[in-house]
Amino acid sequence: MTAVKLDDRLLEVSGAVVRFAPGRPAVDGVELTLTCGRVTALLGPSGSGKSTLLRAIAGLEPLDAGEIRFENHLWSAKGLHKPPEDRRCGVVFQDYALFPHLTALDNVAFGLREGPKASRRETALRRLEAVELAHRAKAYPHELSGGEQQRVALARALAIKPDVMLLDEPFSGLDRRLRSELRGATADALRQSEAATLIVTHDAEEALELADSIALMNEGRIIQTGAPDTLYMKPASLTAARLLGDVDVFEAEVRDGIANTVLGAYSATGFTNGDKVLLLVRPEGVKLERADAEGALARIIARRVSSGYARLTCRLETGQTLEARASLKENHRVGDAVRLGVEPAFAHLVSA
Amino acid sequence: MIAGRAQFNPVRPALVAALICAAPLLAVAALGVFGPWTDYMAHIARTRLPAYLGHTAMVTGVAAVSAGLIGVPLAWLVARYRFFARSVFEWLLALPLAAPAYASAYGWYDLTQPGGPADLLPTVRGPIGAGLIFGFALYPYVYLLAREAFAGQSADAYEAARTLGARPRSAFLRAAIPMARPAIAAGLALVVMESLADYGAVVHLGAPTLSVGLIRAWAGEGAIADAARLALILVMIAFVLFALERSQRQRARQTSASGRRRPPRRVDLDPVRGAVAALFCLSPVLIGLVIPLGRLTYLAFHAPMARDLFQAASHSLTLAILSGLAAAAIGLFCAYALRSKKPVAVAAARLAGLGYAVPGSVAALGVLVLLGGLQSGLDDAWTRLTGVQFPLLLSGGVLALIFAYQSRFAAAAIGPSESALQRVTPTLDMAARTLGAGPGETAWRVHRPMVMSGSLLAALLVFVEVLKELPATMILRPFNYDTLAVIANNYASDERLGEAALPALLITLVALPPMIWIARRITRQEDAK
Repeated sequence: MTAVKLDDRLLEVSGAVVRFAPGRPAVDGVELTLTCGRVTALLGPSGSGKSTLLRAIAGLEPLDAGEIRFENHLWSAKGLHKPPEDRRCGVVFQDYALFPHLTALDNVAFGLREGPKASRRETALRRLEAVELAHRAKAYPHELSGGEQQRVALARALAIKPDVMLLDEPFSGLDRRLRSELRGATADALRQSEAATLIVTHDAEEALELADSIALMNEGRIIQTGAPDTLYMKPASLTAARLLGDVDVFEAEVRDGIANTVLGAYSATGFTNGDKVLLLVRPEGVKLERADAEGALARIIARRVSSGYARLTCRLETGQTLEARASLKENHRVGDAVRLGVEPAFAHLVSA
Repeated sequence: MIAGRAQFNPVRPALVAALICAAPLLAVAALGVFGPWTDYMAHIARTRLPAYLGHTAMVTGVAAVSAGLIGVPLAWLVARYRFFARSVFEWLLALPLAAPAYASAYGWYDLTQPGGPADLLPTVRGPIGAGLIFGFALYPYVYLLAREAFAGQSADAYEAARTLGARPRSAFLRAAIPMARPAIAAGLALVVMESLADYGAVVHLGAPTLSVGLIRAWAGEGAIADAARLALILVMIAFVLFALERSQRQRARQTSASGRRRPPRRVDLDPVRGAVAALFCLSPVLIGLVIPLGRLTYLAFHAPMARDLFQAASHSLTLAILSGLAAAAIGLFCAYALRSKKPVAVAAARLAGLGYAVPGSVAALGVLVLLGGLQSGLDDAWTRLTGVQFPLLLSGGVLALIFAYQSRFAAAAIGPSESALQRVTPTLDMAARTLGAGPGETAWRVHRPMVMSGSLLAALLVFVEVLKELPATMILRPFNYDTLAVIANNYASDERLGEAALPALLITLVALPPMIWIARRITRQEDAK
């Protein structure tokens, strides 16, 4: 993660708590910093409090404790609440929330309030052009496809030149193909806007692809923040690792700075003798060797074709299973005996 | 709920609406329970009550069966087949609702009475005749709700039945009808509730029901407490039906909301079958609307004009417009109350919604009791303070009438406003707020345009109902304040159908354009879904 420069404009959330009912708060002491011009993804399972945090930043939910500041102006604190209309937060809602009684153009123009009507419409039209929808300006939301609606919602939020852009699962209503098409365009538009951007998602692939940095959220708390590849390769915990993708887990105990596992010995710097640790292995780090090579002996018990590669499930002699990925051209068959090695970069120790 | 500035708080308006709608009913109940017992009640229980009850059962039974037999096949035909003028019939079939049942009763009775132009037909009279009149006047309730259900049913169930070996007719009976049953039951409950509340048609056709008994007890004998007791019987029947209607509608929503729906594709009918279908669609409109109105038109041309017709017309219009506006406002407040999800507000709005089960005569009686009590209370206090009586301000004024209309009809305005407001999802509010609009601006730029046409629908529905309303108007109208419905009824009860024809005709003609708008809107809206 790049260092925060002194002149960066920041949105800072500190110790934020939002409580809907007695018991565990929906947002439970969150620390998060967003930087203008950068895209942060907030990734977590459903019910982890992501959307509530987003709404608190937008001013749609009051804080029960903690603070939200933008450039040192206090936006939210206990008993203090700057109303949403005064925050200049552009929000793209999960259901897009386009006004059904207004055309695409009028939706985009809704938040514009400076200058005469003609110039506001001109501005709105330019925003629509930017998302390649100028030709649909006169269409009503129900006449637009899902992807078009998403782009209108994005243009509408960007039209107010927001300081902070908040997107709540912006691609969840779209099919897979459209999703990946829109992702790139959306990321470009967001970076150009110079706003501090937060994208809420439960899709790891989306977070990894879109964001400059990722914050992982679970049960109301941020459990790890960092650049996408750091987070993927060096997760802080099993939960963090699972949020970002498939992972297999092997238990071990640290002896003399070494964790011995069925897959070999790993240096356990930072742990002390007797610590219980978990070895986390990403499937793409598992190498398959011929049976007479070195490594842990295993047998392929299932092979499934996924997009672009084969997913092999291997059973070790200990009975544990492990997932590996192999090129489709390689001739692995169920029942084959193989030796497994692990590329160190894709294996990572965390405490149990 | 958006934090920050205060939101519009609907609790108080909803409580006022609930009070307006429920107070008359509570007054009737209190009077029925605590009021003085007279010999009249004992007398009536021995003599006329059995006949009232019998007529009520017969009239509503025939009405429900005939409305079901007309409404359900029509709905199926229009929802699932394509034939000549189908899209016109779609809304045309709702239009008999524009004519009050008594207008249809006058027309048909005059046509079929001995010596009338159609005296080959059995004379339309008695409980069966009245039931049939109601069937043809009110089947649109069944038709509209069943059509919505059939059109909204996913084609899957019907097609699944076909692939499992059912022929079209059997698939209709075994898959389509059971799925639409909640909607059909709700429509039938409305038919029965409306026939229960009627006065003009059953009196004219000689099948006095409980409603008639109630008005006779009040007007003929001045026995208000006994009228209240008859009213309570009526209300209890109505509430059972109302509960049925509500629970069935709930189920209708549940059975239609699930999953992705694939709307059925309409099947083309060949020209011959198409012509038969078109004729089948045309006949209830002819019987329920065109023929009786044609007869009334003929009568109107051959009889002296009713006295004070224009004045009555302006009274009718004034009452209908004011009530429509008031009901739209109440409907909107209740819709906001329901949207707020605040328990008190929601309960109040639901209570206001109960008004629809209260027949007009009962609502009017309740208003009379309430205002009478208020007046005598004020009189006492005023006399003690000043030595003179309190001025006669409240009883029997136009305001009292509008009060009673609201008590009965405002409930009809809640539905359209509620469904309009349901389209304004919480995220739309949030979107407006994050785009810089404050709560007031959000209400003006987002809520107002989205709710407007729902409120117009509510106002027009109540406008049409008030225009046709008879029993409540008879009870509460100020002295010398006649409406079209009242003068039509007065002439008809003097056997002067010729003079009764024009006012009855006028009611229908004025109600027809808004009814066309309503019917087109309701049917188009569902197609867009």
